[in-house]
Amino acid sequence: MSSITIGLVLIGVLFLLVLLGMRIAVALLTVAFAGVWILRGNFDLAMRLMSISAYNGVANYLFATIPLFVLMGHLVSISNVGKDTFDVAEALLRRLLGGLGIATVAANTVFAAVTGVSIASAAVFTKVAVPEMTRHGYRPAFAAGTVAGSSVLGMLIPPSLLLIIYGVLAEQSIGRMFIAGLVPGALLALGFVLIIVLMARFSPHLVFTSEHLQRSSDDIHALPKMKLPQVLRKLVPIVILVVFVLGGLYSGFFTPTEAGGVGAFAALLIAVARRSLDLKKWWAVLTQTGTISVGILILLVAAGFYSQMLAVAGIPTAIGHFVQGSGLGATGFLIVYVLLVLLLGMILDSSSILLIVVPIAAPIAQGLGFDLIHFGIITVVAVEVGLLTPPFGISIFTVHSALGDGKTRLEAIFAGALPFVGVMLAVLIIIAAVPQLIIG
Amino acid sequence: MQADTIAEPDPSPLRRLLQGGLNIIAAVGTIWIFAIMLLIVADVVGRNFLAAPITGVAEIAARSVVAIVFLMLPAAVLNGSLVRADFLLRLVESGSERLPHALDFVFAVVGTLLFGAVAVAAWPDTASAWRTAEFFGVRGVWTLPTFPFRLIIVFGSAASALAFAVLGAESLGRLSTVKARPHE
Amino acid sequence: AEAIDIQIGSSHPTNNIWVYAMQTALQPELDRLLKEAGGKYSINWHENYGGTLYKFNDTRAAVRDGIVDIGMVGTVWEGSAMPLQNVTYFTPFANSDHVAVIEIFDKLTEELPELKAGWTDQNMVHLSSLVTDSYDIYANFPIASVEDVRNRRLNAPGTSANWLANTGCTPVDGALTTYYTDIQTGVSEGTLSFASGIQPTRVYEVAPHLTRVGFGSMYFGGIAVNKGFYDGLPPEVQAALKQAGKLTSRKHGDYVTQRTTAAMTEMVAAGLQVAELPVAEKEKWANTLPNVAAPWLEANGEAAAAVLKAYFAELKARDITPARDWAAEI
Ligand code: NA
Ligand code: NA
Repeated sequence: MSSITIGLVLIGVLFLLVLLGMRIAVALLTVAFAGVWILRGNFDLAMRLMSISAYNGVANYLFATIPLFVLMGHLVSISNVGKDTFDVAEALLRRLLGGLGIATVAANTVFAAVTGVSIASAAVFTKVAVPEMTRHGYRPAFAAGTVAGSSVLGMLIPPSLLLIIYGVLAEQSIGRMFIAGLVPGALLALGFVLIIVLMARFSPHLVFTSEHLQRSSDDIHALPKMKLPQVLRKLVPIVILVVFVLGGLYSGFFTPTEAGGVGAFAALLIAVARRSLDLKKWWAVLTQTGTISVGILILLVAAGFYSQMLAVAGIPTAIGHFVQGSGLGATGFLIVYVLLVLLLGMILDSSSILLIVVPIAAPIAQGLGFDLIHFGIITVVAVEVGLLTPPFGISIFTVHSALGDGKTRLEAIFAGALPFVGVMLAVLIIIAAVPQLIIG
Repeated sequence: MQADTIAEPDPSPLRRLLQGGLNIIAAVGTIWIFAIMLLIVADVVGRNFLAAPITGVAEIAARSVVAIVFLMLPAAVLNGSLVRADFLLRLVESGSERLPHALDFVFAVVGTLLFGAVAVAAWPDTASAWRTAEFFGVRGVWTLPTFPFRLIIVFGSAASALAFAVLGAESLGRLSTVKARPHE
Repeated sequence: AEAIDIQIGSSHPTNNIWVYAMQTALQPELDRLLKEAGGKYSINWHENYGGTLYKFNDTRAAVRDGIVDIGMVGTVWEGSAMPLQNVTYFTPFANSDHVAVIEIFDKLTEELPELKAGWTDQNMVHLSSLVTDSYDIYANFPIASVEDVRNRRLNAPGTSANWLANTGCTPVDGALTTYYTDIQTGVSEGTLSFASGIQPTRVYEVAPHLTRVGFGSMYFGGIAVNKGFYDGLPPEVQAALKQAGKLTSRKHGDYVTQRTTAAMTEMVAAGLQVAELPVAEKEKWANTLPNVAAPWLEANGEAAAAVLKAYFAELKARDITPARDWAAEI
């Protein structure tokens, strides 16, 4: 068997182990270890590479931002800043058809300007928006799907961990990547709003529970209105956070990498100022932050080792040769590439996909005449689709575990997020076809 | 991120003790995250307002990430909080009571061997870091020894292997309980 | 012909200045030399370029442990394991001619037991020397004297932070990928860098003033072969590999010259203003610094002193006069 064949078989084995329910990090590490051992016929070498992966795999300042963004998310959640943002959006938008869904998207868009990881958005708004939507007659699966779907905004609108990682891998300015993410982020948010309105209008049974549809919707109008001073009071903390993070970034007080740390600290100050934290709650916030972070980081360690194994098998080189030899033009390459990323998105986490594909694809893309900033945004949107696709969709997992009620099944949330996947694919096509949207 | 779907019996005292110990180790990692945040803020403030940046923050944060992971990993393993795709498992569960436990047992054995191997693989570099007083940073600017960071990997992996072994024993226990009490 | 399998690799892509000559010189030259020697041996190359197999933190471990047989080793990242190789970083203002640095380190790594042992102790055999072109300052303000950097912030990661000591300038951490944004947003006001490295990042757009302060060309690392692997090779192949290594050094020097020239042409065309710091100011700057070599000398004992003295003797032999004679301070 050639190395490539062995490599492909090992990818198949990984799929199987993940589907069977092995812890994904363990599956990645095991397949990687076995792969290196088989491919090089050298047990010691496999041990050496594994040791290197353990020690250096996530030893990067960028990865230190993950726990910090997660911490910020939890702090914003516990100090009700997320809830207040949602409340205001709800008050302003609930008269619209599907208004609470739109409010979720709107609140997520604003929140995206302070967080750099989508799971933070997913965790915050699951607690805030899902109960509220369910109370007002939305189907739980739709509510959960909306939260999961709109959480992807967190990593497209700056600051964004994925844009940072791409910038580093493709050697592009992170500041430019951030600016480039703005328009597609806005497009995506608009697309989400549009799909919610369309669904509420034309297939309300997907959005609302049957009991709700039988009732008149007058009760919504009967709800008390929110007064302007109250709106302002609820908006102050999130506005402070957004201004602080974006202002600090663009006035040069701190770097995109530091935004996680400074933002978390600002969120801590707000939480303390609002008297939302006692020692016990603070410890709970830190512990939850740790639990979520270690889950992501060990995946990154494992994915790093796994991609080394693929390199030993010669898969990246083979793909490179295949693309060059296949006579695929720029468009053909982009289609194949995006399909590959979407496929990987089904089984791997976002950062791992970037780590695996960008070093191979970016030089090829550049050779074919792509602007690497444009290519990066396409990549990141395609990667983010994977947050919502089964079997491994981390935003869905986060919503599911944050719900913690066991009533809404994982499959139902995946299904609820499907319309949002559709919107993402549509936006993906638009931004791929119209580079001017990104690079001006 | 998902809790196990399989109902847990009351944990044995031994498991509770282990869980307690691992939670304390994980708590060190938790505090470490907080410390990194403070370090970054201090560097930003120092650089902008005092012309006194803290050198090496990037490298210290980078090294710390690894330490944090391996401090928290054992508790996460024992809690069953590492991500897995469990829909097929649940599908199987409705058909057979034993198969999920058998799979869990196999996975736990693999996890034990794997993290055992990580600990063994990481040991030579750890020993050599001690012998050669390996450091990171820049001579004359700031340096930190790598030994503690490497040691955390060895201990974290070994403890994770132990946690997987405990999970494996539990799966085995359930497997035999189910066997003894055939499906009605 | 007897075919020999060689795994060759790097943490950086093949267009990188330190990797370029591996693919364009080392590989073809070894093939050619073996063919000319009678064709008794041939090489099956297995390329692992571009960091797919390991990243920059692991270039030493990769060759030492045989993850690749031949690899680019950035000793600049190995301050702990291979401290002696970093002598140039602790002796700034010595020399801006990168070709001289290549020649000196090719020579000294063969002749000086301390430098040679730096490689063999790590289970490696050194084949060719890798360097940077001269480090200078790219900033959004002009610099006419050492006074001009007082109360400024410049990106100066790692060892290069030393080069700003006592000048009143605040060193800011960073990397090639962060400089542009850092300067654009005001996190820093410029960076310490070299032409061939900085040009692709387009930092000149936000930092249009290049001041030739003359921190100098740095010995970056080497291309090395795993010692166990090397010892197992037939003597003819060993000799050919060594010979190919020398040719690779030369090709690397040419490529750095070519890339630097092209980079300067391009940057100047894009509006980069180049100014040479007067010699007197260079000397003043060099003498403003504390003895930055002292901690390194102290930590590495006699061997470090021998390396530093040999390096400065070689500079002198080439009529190069450093702005500060660090060797005189031992
Ligand atoms: Na964001
Ligand atoms: Na997915």
